[in-house]
Amino acid sequence: MSVDTTTESAPAPKRGRNILLGLTLFGLLAALWLALGLSTNAFWTPGNISNLLRQGAMTAILAVGQTFVIITAGIDLSVGAIVGFTSVIVAWLLQAGVPLWAAIILTLLMGVAIGAFHGFGIVRMGLPPFIITLATLTSLRGIGLLITNGSTISINHEGFTNFSRMDFLGVPSLFWMVILVAIPAFVFLHLSRFGRYLFAVGSNSEAARLSGVNVNRTIYLAYILSATCAAFVGLLLASRIGIGNATQAEGWELQAIASSVIGGTSLFGAVGSVHGPLLGAFILATINNGANLLNVNSFWQRIITGLLIIVIVYFDQLRRRGSR
Amino acid sequence: MSSLEELSHRHDDQAKLAESDTVARGAPILELRGLQKKYGLVEALKPATVTFLAGEIHAIVGENGAGKSTLIKLLTGVIRRTAGEVFWCGKPVQLATPNEAISRGINAVHQEVVLCAHLSVAANMFLGDEMNRYGLMRKGAMEKAAQAVLDDLGFQLPAAAPLGSLTIGQQQLVATAKAAMRGIRFLIFDEPTAYLTRQESAQLFRLIRRLRDQGVTIVYISHRMEEVFELADRVSVLRDGTHVGTRLIGETNEAELIALMINRTIEQIYHKEKVAIGKPIVETKGLSGPGFEDVSLTVRSGEIVGLYGLIGAGRSEFALGLYGRQPVKSGEILWEGRKVEISNEREAMALGIALAPESRRDQGLCLNLSIGLNINLPIFRRLSSGLVIRKGDEAENAERQIRDLRIKTPSRSVLASAMSGGNQQKIVIGKWLSHGAKLFIFDEPTVGVDVGTKAEIYRLFGELLKRGAGIILISSYLPEVYELSDRLHVFRGGRLVASHDHRAATHEDVLTQAIGI
Repeated sequence: MSVDTTTESAPAPKRGRNILLGLTLFGLLAALWLALGLSTNAFWTPGNISNLLRQGAMTAILAVGQTFVIITAGIDLSVGAIVGFTSVIVAWLLQAGVPLWAAIILTLLMGVAIGAFHGFGIVRMGLPPFIITLATLTSLRGIGLLITNGSTISINHEGFTNFSRMDFLGVPSLFWMVILVAIPAFVFLHLSRFGRYLFAVGSNSEAARLSGVNVNRTIYLAYILSATCAAFVGLLLASRIGIGNATQAEGWELQAIASSVIGGTSLFGAVGSVHGPLLGAFILATINNGANLLNVNSFWQRIITGLLIIVIVYFDQLRRRGSR
Repeated sequence: MSSLEELSHRHDDQAKLAESDTVARGAPILELRGLQKKYGLVEALKPATVTFLAGEIHAIVGENGAGKSTLIKLLTGVIRRTAGEVFWCGKPVQLATPNEAISRGINAVHQEVVLCAHLSVAANMFLGDEMNRYGLMRKGAMEKAAQAVLDDLGFQLPAAAPLGSLTIGQQQLVATAKAAMRGIRFLIFDEPTAYLTRQESAQLFRLIRRLRDQGVTIVYISHRMEEVFELADRVSVLRDGTHVGTRLIGETNEAELIALMINRTIEQIYHKEKVAIGKPIVETKGLSGPGFEDVSLTVRSGEIVGLYGLIGAGRSEFALGLYGRQPVKSGEILWEGRKVEISNEREAMALGIALAPESRRDQGLCLNLSIGLNINLPIFRRLSSGLVIRKGDEAENAERQIRDLRIKTPSRSVLASAMSGGNQQKIVIGKWLSHGAKLFIFDEPTVGVDVGTKAEIYRLFGELLKRGAGIILISSYLPEVYELSDRLHVFRGGRLVASHDHRAATHEDVLTQAIGI
């Protein structure tokens, strides 16, 4: 830890800390991959790596959207439900004969609408983010089940279902989707003024308001982005499993929040990045993948994941406290 | 034995402690010798020597920021002294923690009620000191006991009612009853009548006298001179963190106390530039909104308009109304002669209004973000090409403000929370200098700011005026508004009650108008 302290007493502690945390997480990920490579022959096989990237991809995209919300000191509990719900929506639209491109756009717009509803609940009705997104979590699952009448809708569009199995330049298409989301997300959060506004609202919304930041619009934006990312993941999931099923993606919201927090996002707001949650998501995916390969009981996997969240975030807290 | 006294001797340990250091009535119970408190380099309380006598009502008066709250915090163990000694019943004590103060029988009743609104009056009175039997609370017994105390004190309050259903004034009485129950020997009241009706005040005064007659020492802090003269036996005056004197109430008068409260030496720091006053920038006509009523005033270019009043007099509310943060109910705003509606902050900024708000921590700064981000927050639109911020311009603007305002930081990426009060205030100002405005509203710009930075801020006012801007200066520190304002308006109870030209009225007049005697 002595290295950390010197970096942080340097003139630019914030940036230094971000990069450092990114590197630490990257180091952790690399160490996990190395250790798994040494302990099992099955890990470093093209099939397994592709599988790992696919597993992590969807959580990673959810975590990026979730991070926007958490930076504003909010929370979005509905993302898992949105994934399930939008998988039903796209399946339903395709079943009804809607062309693929229109089905995709309509599904994404459904995400926008859900996010806008969250914004409305928080800004206009004054509901806490936890409550409004908890309410949509349960309601969306219900609506999805009503639409499918409790069963699932299978998707017969071959191009759509083949997409998730495709590779491009040897990398799974799902991982390309992470990059497709991550680059604009990075530009948005770190290079645009809207990103600065997200941080300002999360840090002190009154100060932001008095400085001319449109706080309400910023909150709408954060929740719309999160819900749209979730709708996008709904499309990817529907493509991967070939059905629309409202009960899918149970608990993914917690995976997304965990990835974001492991990636250095503060639940108190105003601290976070795009690369952090991406690394967090792939660390979680690696742990699950490795545990499977090592034949660790899946019950134990859950316990280990929980402990790891505590350890990683605790070390991050220690470092933050040290820098004060 | 009254039910109050019965309850106050409920605990043997406290009774023992109380017996172990008793002093005769009229003898010194608490002595402060050279008590001092520094925050960094700022001396909030200069070495003060004050003696409190057992069974007296000792009033403390002084302007906002004179060091009264620092003194209370020291006495109740909330903060630790930098230097000096404290003697309790003749023995040196630490008073390092709130618990130590409470165990000695020192208690405070604060201006803001700090009780649980959802619990019953009785539950609040016994909070942290509940009556138990076999580990279960005796709710009925506590309610009965609490009711007995309230009746005994002559407060007509229901012990079983939720605290939140009472008025603020009644809650204040409950807080006092709670403190009185705790076997106290030394009770501090911090502006207790701020929210009380006349009737409630009278009840409170009866209680205070009764406690005094039982031998409790009362420290009574108030802005209101008439209360001091009605209640106190002795009065101490604080000014700019200095204890400037203690008087027997019979040997002093209001004029002498007010003279003691105000710093008469006009310091060089109130340097005022001579700037020609131009056309009106903004005019309000009968402006009313939440917390202020019927305010009409004009700010011209090159002019500082001072708003003086006690805290809660409606000045900040007026500023927030003008800035579009609070809705304005009635009245007109004329901007450069043209009638305008300002419905949010962004419209105010677009017209050319800048607001450096009252609380840096709550309204002024994003504390856990960088200095650079804070400075640039109002102008990111200007620093962007399309969606993307031009990093070079972003850095350049922040660096320029840091340089021009001499903000003491190694880098613009240091967090705002790491800065001292003065430097934080400069960040807030820098934010608006880079944005630019015609009307600058500074709300308490020098609270918690050291003298050197104060002088820098005043010089900056001069610069803004020379560029043709107008300034509204809100301050509770009379010398500041008095010396700097071209026109000084006095607020009381949400209304503008008096206006004076530069140095046209005496300090005493202005203070009298603000207090309303």
